[in-house]
Amino acid sequence: MPSVIQPRDERTQPSRIVPGYPQTPLRNPQQSLVKRAPTLSELTGPLDAAKRVRLLGGDIAGHGGKQAIGQLIHLKVRVLDEDGAPVGGALVEMWQANAAGRYIHPNDDDRAPVDLNFYGAARLVTDESGAFELRTVKPGAYPVPTNDGWWRPPHVHFSMFGKVWLSRLVTQMYFPGEPLNAQDRILNAVPDAAARDRLVARYVPPTGNPPDALVFEHQIVLRGRASTPGQP
Amino acid sequence: MKGASLVPTGEATLGPFFPPRYVDEGANDLTVFEGRKAKGEAIEIHGRVLQEDGTPLENLVVEIWQADAGGIFRHSADPRHAQADPDFLGWGRAATDASGNYRFKTVLPGAPEGRAPHINVMVMFSGLMRILKTTLFFEISSDPVLSAVPPGRKGLLVAKKQGPNSYRFDIRLRGEDETPFFDD
Ligand SMILES: [Fe+3]
Repeated sequence: MPSVIQPRDERTQPSRIVPGYPQTPLRNPQQSLVKRAPTLSELTGPLDAAKRVRLLGGDIAGHGGKQAIGQLIHLKVRVLDEDGAPVGGALVEMWQANAAGRYIHPNDDDRAPVDLNFYGAARLVTDESGAFELRTVKPGAYPVPTNDGWWRPPHVHFSMFGKVWLSRLVTQMYFPGEPLNAQDRILNAVPDAAARDRLVARYVPPTGNPPDALVFEHQIVLRGRASTPGQP
Repeated sequence: MKGASLVPTGEATLGPFFPPRYVDEGANDLTVFEGRKAKGEAIEIHGRVLQEDGTPLENLVVEIWQADAGGIFRHSADPRHAQADPDFLGWGRAATDASGNYRFKTVLPGAPEGRAPHINVMVMFSGLMRILKTTLFFEISSDPVLSAVPPGRKGLLVAKKQGPNSYRFDIRLRGEDETPFFDD
């Protein structure tokens, strides 16, 4: 079924230029963005990008004598479209800092320790119900080198492929109850409070299953729907 | 679920720590898919990505999406998709090097119904809170997307032919000769 893509409610999306985020005024267009009506080209997209890339399992917390350090967590994520229909078969890429707030990346400096048992990235495909699960550790907060007191709260990065080109999403997921959430310049670049809340995972009270990890649930909504609202 | 209306998740920057291994070896070569060669004329698209002060940007991620040599998209929404080249995925990813250069190998796209030949391009990077989307054309031609661009800026979306099979498409994120990006 062809997807319908509607204009965004700008209050639910981040501003492009963010006060206190020094790269943003250098890299974002000054000219007005050009409005266009989507054609077949933008309303199609790579459905099987996963065939071009190597998948990496969704269990990145380690095993046996090689456990990553940190609070073990289970993330249960569902990916839906704007109609609430599951987006199955979608390629998902995630990456995050270790429990000390350090990435495995040449751009990250050596202020915090590397955990040799934690690589911090997974690449997988959603199941038919749009769900995927990750076993990982809770990422640590880290300071941004603006050196003016900006710390990123614990967060997980996601890059996702939807059904069409205009569904492509790069986002970040936050954790509930984190004091740094209130001052994070990236999270708070989204003007609408309810839209910001939807970027925060839901803490699931422990039930004993799994016995060893805290559970967080999260929902991600990709652009696109099968029908227009108000249609019978 | 008709009537349910969920709001799309807010975007965020890719940040500075996108794993280098996510730019897979060969992900920028669309001329070969699963070991088989795509139909059509192989071309190279390359260019430089600059920010406002002219600094080239390293490790910026560029992705492309295009029709095959026959102008067909590998997607169920294309009425002709059953005839799409099975050996052409249509999607690729590249990262810029230290001089800000990216490079793709692909095939010259055919003209999809109602459109001139073109390649969809997106840019993701630290400092970009939203994905930037633009479209590469091979010449100024009649096309509904190109027509939406103000007359003085259309030329910025036309790749420069640099050889028989080589095209240059520079991307300037802001400032002089700023690449037109779409309000998607
Ligand atoms: Fe981060």
